Amino acid sequence: MIERKERKPYWQHTKWQMLASLIPFLAVIIVLPLYAEKLNSNRFMGFPLGYFLAAHGLVLIAVITVASFVNRQDAIDHWHGAHEDT
Amino acid sequence: MQFTPARRIVNPKLGSYFAIFASAYVTVVLLVLIGEHLGVSKPSRDWAMLLVPLALYAVIGLAGSTEKSLEFFAAGRRVPAVYSGFSLGLTAFGGTGIVAITGALFLIGFDALCLVIGGLAGFVVMGILLAPFFRKFGAYTIPTYLGRRFESPFLRILSAAVISLPLMLMLIAEIKMAAFSAGFLTGAPQANLLALIAVTMMVMLSRGGTRSLTWSSVAQTIAALLALIVPITIVAVMWTNLPLPLLSHGPLMRPLAKNEAFQGLPILLAQGFAFDMPGYGLSVISKRFATTFSAVGPAGFVAATLTIMMGVACAPWLLPRIATTPGVYQARKSLGWATVLFGILMLTAASIAVFSRTLLFESTLAGLVPDWFRQLAAMGYAEIDVKQMTGSAEQARNLLSSLSINRDAVLFALPLAAGLSETFVALAVSGAVAACLAGASAAVAALAASLSEDIIHGTKAEPPPDHQRLPMARSAVIAIIAIGSILAAIVPVDSLALLLMSLSLTGSSFFAILVLSIWWKRMNAYGAVAGLVSGFAVALITIATGSMEWLAFDPALAGVFGIPAAFAATIAASLATPLPSRHERELIRDIRVPGGEILYDREMRLLRLKKHQRASDPV
Repeated sequence: MIERKERKPYWQHTKWQMLASLIPFLAVIIVLPLYAEKLNSNRFMGFPLGYFLAAHGLVLIAVITVASFVNRQDAIDHWHGAHEDT
Repeated sequence: MQFTPARRIVNPKLGSYFAIFASAYVTVVLLVLIGEHLGVSKPSRDWAMLLVPLALYAVIGLAGSTEKSLEFFAAGRRVPAVYSGFSLGLTAFGGTGIVAITGALFLIGFDALCLVIGGLAGFVVMGILLAPFFRKFGAYTIPTYLGRRFESPFLRILSAAVISLPLMLMLIAEIKMAAFSAGFLTGAPQANLLALIAVTMMVMLSRGGTRSLTWSSVAQTIAALLALIVPITIVAVMWTNLPLPLLSHGPLMRPLAKNEAFQGLPILLAQGFAFDMPGYGLSVISKRFATTFSAVGPAGFVAATLTIMMGVACAPWLLPRIATTPGVYQARKSLGWATVLFGILMLTAASIAVFSRTLLFESTLAGLVPDWFRQLAAMGYAEIDVKQMTGSAEQARNLLSSLSINRDAVLFALPLAAGLSETFVALAVSGAVAACLAGASAAVAALAASLSEDIIHGTKAEPPPDHQRLPMARSAVIAIIAIGSILAAIVPVDSLALLLMSLSLTGSSFFAILVLSIWWKRMNAYGAVAGLVSGFAVALITIATGSMEWLAFDPALAGVFGIPAAFAATIAASLATPLPSRHERELIRDIRVPGGEILYDREMRLLRLKKHQRASDPV
């Protein structure tokens, strides 16, 4: 169980982690499709690059974002003793 | 005193159970394939391919039969991350997603990606902002969570009433799509197919509620994944020699783009908030595949992405199922798996679109209408406009504009187009029906839980004992399926439009209050009611004006106004009213920490304790 004086630093840490995971991801999903047309003149593995990044690239970025978030947040939980009891 | 442990024991045999299901499904497909070569009649093969999997799902649902409320409403909180994540990934858009988004990608190419990106981002946002905290709270439905978090029975009943509209829209969309898919295969009348699907769902869900839902939708995910990937993989091997359709359709795209240019597809530019998703019925292929913003404007693309993202992040048919994971860490992980599966499904849909387009354009380039297209036209899912086909020099250019195809038939047309045997059409249809069932039953379970828990027993602090609670929920399941399938037969709206409308309604009414209820300590019950009502009302007004074409706004984009309105109203009303009570402040402190007892169970335990004390207290 988490100690009383650990609650505040734990939540600070969690908040920063949330922002660090979410803001870059949201920026990419909003900005990337707008510039896809310009990227389409390049090619990657036969795909027009803009399409490739908007489809495959964003899937990859989403998976990496969640995976890194799960990993980091779990480390934060353990560091502050906020993790679940096993 | 009874403590519920935070983690529960997972059945170690799950893997073998679903391996048995997967091999049974593959066996059915192989038997039908053998039957085709032995000359078994087409109707009996098609019905076997449709009915045997339905019977398997019903059996899995019945095997989940239970008499305990924890099992009925939260599957015993012991669904491992992979299983719950995979079924979440499928049910976000359900069968509508697979069938209609494949068609939309085929017809308008890049612009339909806004749906895909929105769904993906929805899972990311849900995993980071909502899911772990909802799991820590442990409530069975979203209205129960809101009611207990803000100690307000009024908010609980109000949100249960609001939530039933988007859930019903999702249910209608999925049932309609299931009946359409089954009709493509068998040609049976829609009313009979609707009845078949409704009866299957009643058998599947009424005995075990969320427990039946969870395990049957894992089976449906396996079926849908196999049915989507197997035909396209065979086509990919035939065309590109690589069994990886997701990555190998790239080299087809340059010849496709040249073909499009040669056959005179114009480069269109949609402006601003234009949102021209292909609807139900026949559409002409008039957009280039890789060209951006030809049907959906740049602002419309971003708005649709964000609206769908917020809708998926708090979708009431997804979020309560987070409560079925064994712990907070597993809840976070399950969203990762959901992203993986959703990504695979949607990239497969995109590759199906590219392969089908290539197959069609290769033959129109030679001035021929392909045989499979004539076959579709004979079935009524495509049209060849003979008037425009005159004139020999311009024929290649005009040919394409004289062809129109039903958006929802594209997925099932691929095996026909590639010359695969008829069994693969049946396989694709059975996968689509599986996905529709998964989506529809998720909506049914969520709606039944919120109806029986939050509306009928909503005013009581303590839920009634299990022998009253479960029969009520079971009758709610049956009533909702009946109403949903009757409405699906009546409502003449397109499934994809219904799904998008449902997502923008949930996003507008629930995203703001759910996120702020965790991330903002100052929020109180007044804020929650204000946010809920104003978000919902603004979204409804936008949808109403949008569909009457007063505003140049597609109903799918209603969240653009609804979500900011909900945030503003929540914050303003909370600041204008007194601080939240001491108990609420303690509750939010505990929600934020993964460790410790599940809060819903703690409240139930304290209520029981109080009752015992009152009973033993001599007054």
